[in-house]
Parts: sequence; structure tokens; C-alpha cells
Amino acid sequence: MISSAEKVDKWSGYERILVPISGEETDREVIRLACELSKFAKKAKCKILILYVIQVRRSLPLDAAIEPEVQKAEQSLSEAENVASACECECDVETDVLQAREVGVAIVDEAIEHQADIILLGAGYKKRLGVATISPTALAVLRDAPCRVVLIRPPLSGVEVK
Amino acid sequence: MNIIIVGCGRVGAQLAALLDAEGHKVTMLDISANSFRRLPSTFGGTAMVGDGTDESALRKAGIEKADALVAVTQGDNRNIMSAQVAKHIFNVPKVLCRIYDPLRKDIYDTLGLEAISPTTVLAQLLKARLEVQ
Amino acid sequence: MYIIIVGGGQVGYSLCKALLDEGHEVLIIEKDASKCERINDEMGAVCMRGDGCETSTLSDAGAARADMFISATNEDEDNLVSCQVAKHKFGVPRTIARINNPKNEIIFKKLGVNYTVSSVNLIMEHIQEEMPTHPLVHLITIEPEGMEVVEIRIPQHAAAIGKKLKDLPIDPASLLCALIRTGSSPVQPDPDTVVKAGDKFIAVVSPSIEGQLRSTLVGA
Repeated sequence: MISSAEKVDKWSGYERILVPISGEETDREVIRLACELSKFAKKAKCKILILYVIQVRRSLPLDAAIEPEVQKAEQSLSEAENVASACECECDVETDVLQAREVGVAIVDEAIEHQADIILLGAGYKKRLGVATISPTALAVLRDAPCRVVLIRPPLSGVEVK
Repeated sequence: MNIIIVGCGRVGAQLAALLDAEGHKVTMLDISANSFRRLPSTFGGTAMVGDGTDESALRKAGIEKADALVAVTQGDNRNIMSAQVAKHIFNVPKVLCRIYDPLRKDIYDTLGLEAISPTTVLAQLLKARLEVQ
Repeated sequence: MYIIIVGGGQVGYSLCKALLDEGHEVLIIEKDASKCERINDEMGAVCMRGDGCETSTLSDAGAARADMFISATNEDEDNLVSCQVAKHKFGVPRTIARINNPKNEIIFKKLGVNYTVSSVNLIMEHIQEEMPTHPLVHLITIEPEGMEVVEIRIPQHAAAIGKKLKDLPIDPASLLCALIRTGSSPVQPDPDTVVKAGDKFIAVVSPSIEGQLRSTLVGA
């Protein structure tokens, strides 16, 4: 998909890729893109961190064990790992589950902690009361992430996974 | 009866006019003198500028000798505080207040405050009228 | 501890910072969107936008599991109502209200708020403590009886100087517990103690007879 030599250069700097997922249909697409991107990494071995953030309501303590959510997170992450291994890229794939009050803030904190050089984020695009809105999570990441952010928005009529 | 009304909005002013016409001794309390324009020219009671949640303003309005206090300012919390001060500090025998927020009204019901929620009352009234056809 | 603060003004903001530093879980509830954003930008996800008097907001905030509830807006009636809702609807064990009109301190306590903090009264207390000329200083209040522990300094021209305590009209309901004289260790005053200029008495009194004690010991 990225063909010319010049473009390869531009995309080759990324060695620590953060991929937040949320159990949505965009997850697969974003992970495949991360794997493609990792193939351009030149020097070190590329690392992909797949992150699932569980949002915990204030009525519960932050470390509450919310069983259905934890299950969903683990399932999403193992699916994600399968997608990644099917891509046959030579990168390290790590997965992590976090619990937080605000997903966006947690993603940004994680990007800082792991010194991510790019975040690939799938973002839903909903029409609420007739107005198209981007999720607050995506907005927070776009606003506060220290590194480059790529937002992947599915096509309006459902998601096509190639 | 000696009645203090806190808040001279439309409801407060109308209530004052009704009670005054029936010969009660009415004292109006409002933080803005401008609000007293709503009182009819025939109003024979007292109108005082003052904060109905403030102990000394209530004293000046004669709360120690009042038989009743009605709190109908624009703010739910102001009404709640005013009513509670009247009831628990000055032991006024009859205390009523307006609380727009029905949920908040429910809480103060259980705390023994006599409150009316215009939101609930009007909704019920409208529903009843609709059902009459 | 989980602590909810209503009001993200200067007081709420600084309080939140201090409590976070102490390792508590803290949430600010603030009506103003831009204030919320500023707080969250600085301290992470600690501020929720909403009205701290509303049941639904407090429910979302998890008030039911809060250990402490502090209402620190600059409107006394809002502070009163949010504390009462927190206490009676959500059973928060400790409620603290900031008081802007110092006269409301007693009212709030009567209406069930556990603790009140009035900046005016605090500053007044400080002035009393800092001013060496002030003959009677409030040290602590003992709740719920409302007894005061006070320090009384005998000024140079007090009429009580040279007299024995038993000869002074001191109300038996006030308790003189300690006498501190420069250069000697504290002693328990007895009826035969003779009052001297510069003496410091520590006494427990109720506010109603405090004035009488003051005029007996320090009056000229």
C-alpha cells in the first residue's frame, strides 16, 4: 500500500507501535495496519503493544473485577494476537489490559510510559441527534498524545474488512 | 397570621397579594428591590430587601413571631436552606418551600420538609387535563 | 479513602491536589466545563462535569462508596444541600461544608453537616492566636458538647492580680485546668493560687460563660 521509496522512508521510523482496541470491528483492520507498518521498521525489531482499556464507572473502585468486561477484553486481545500472527510480521507483539476512568487518558499515559512513537486508533463515527461525532476517547488521544496518531475510521456503511 | 414569603417572583408576589387581601400580615423578603414591582399597588404588607437564608435578615423580617414561612425563590437550594433555617433554628410552626427538582424534593420529604415540586404538579395536571378530553 | 469534592474553584482544586498527594482517590464535581477541562488537563481524569446537588450526578460519581464528601463551592446553600443529599441519600459517613457567611456555621451543624470550615472564622482564630495582646485565645472546640479549650493570659493591669482564685467570682461550670508561669513547669491551679501578671491559664468553658470568665480574670 505504501510503495515509493520516499514514502517508505517516512514510515520507517516507527518501532514502538501502540494499538488500543475496544472489541469493535475496526480492531482487525487496525492490527493489520500495525503489522504492515512494522515491516518498514529498519533498525531494531519493531514492537507492537495491543492495549485494551476497561472503563470503570465511578460507582465502582478502580480495581473492581468486572467479570463480563474482563472476559470481553481477554477475548478481544487473543483475537487480536491471532490476527497479528497471521500477518507474519517479525515483530514482538505484546498485549495488556488496563482499568481506567477515562479510556483516552489511559491510552495517552500508556503511550508515554512505553515511549510509543505512533498510536493507531480505530474510531467509530456515530451520528448522534443527527450530528456526526467522533468518540471522546479519540478526541482525547488526538489532543494529548505526545506521538503521531493515526485514526482509522470505518466507511460509513458498515465496516469492510479486506 | 404572620407570614413571611421569601422570594418575590411571580408566585411569591401572587401569594402575597392573595394573603394580604384576606387580611393576613405578610412580609416579603427578596435580595432585589426590583422584584417588589410585581406586588400589586394595593399590597398592604411589608417588603424588605434581604437574603432569606441569612439568619439576621430573617430576624429583621420578624421570623421569631412568624406563624408561617414560604420559600419560593428561583433557587431550589436557597429555598431548602431558608425553609430549614425557619423550621429548625426559629421553630416556625408552618414552613413550605418550592423545589423544582422532583428527586431533590423526595429527599427533603423524607427529611421532614414540606415541599412542593411545581414540575411534578404541573405534569400531573397536564396529564389529567389530557385525559379529560 | 474515596473523597468527593464539589466545586473545582481554588479551594476544591488545591484540596484535590493535596489529597491526591496523600494517596487518596479523589473526584471533583464541577458545573463549569472549562474549569473541568483545566483540572483534568493537569491532574488526569479527576473531574466530572455536573451539579453536585443532583442525585443522578452523585450516583454517577459513586457517592454511595465515598468515605468523605466535601462541598467547597462559594454558595453556602449549595454546600448545605449537596452535603445533605450526600449524607441522607447516599449515606456518606463524613460530610464537610465550606462556609462563606460565618454566621452559617452554627446553622449547618444544626442541620446535620458533620464539619464546617469557614475561612473568615479561621482567619479570625489565627488573628486571635497571633495577637499577643489578645487575652483569651481559643485553642480547640470539643464536639459535640461545644466546649471550648481556651488560653487566658493575665495582662499587666488586670483587677484579678494579687487575688486568690477562690475570692474571684469564677463560675463553677468553668474548669481551670493548668497554670503556666514562665520559668516553671505547668501546675494545676488550686483555690489558693494567687493570680500574677503574665500568668497563662488553660481552661475548659462553654461559650455561654466564656465572656464572664474573661472579664473576671483579665478585666481591669
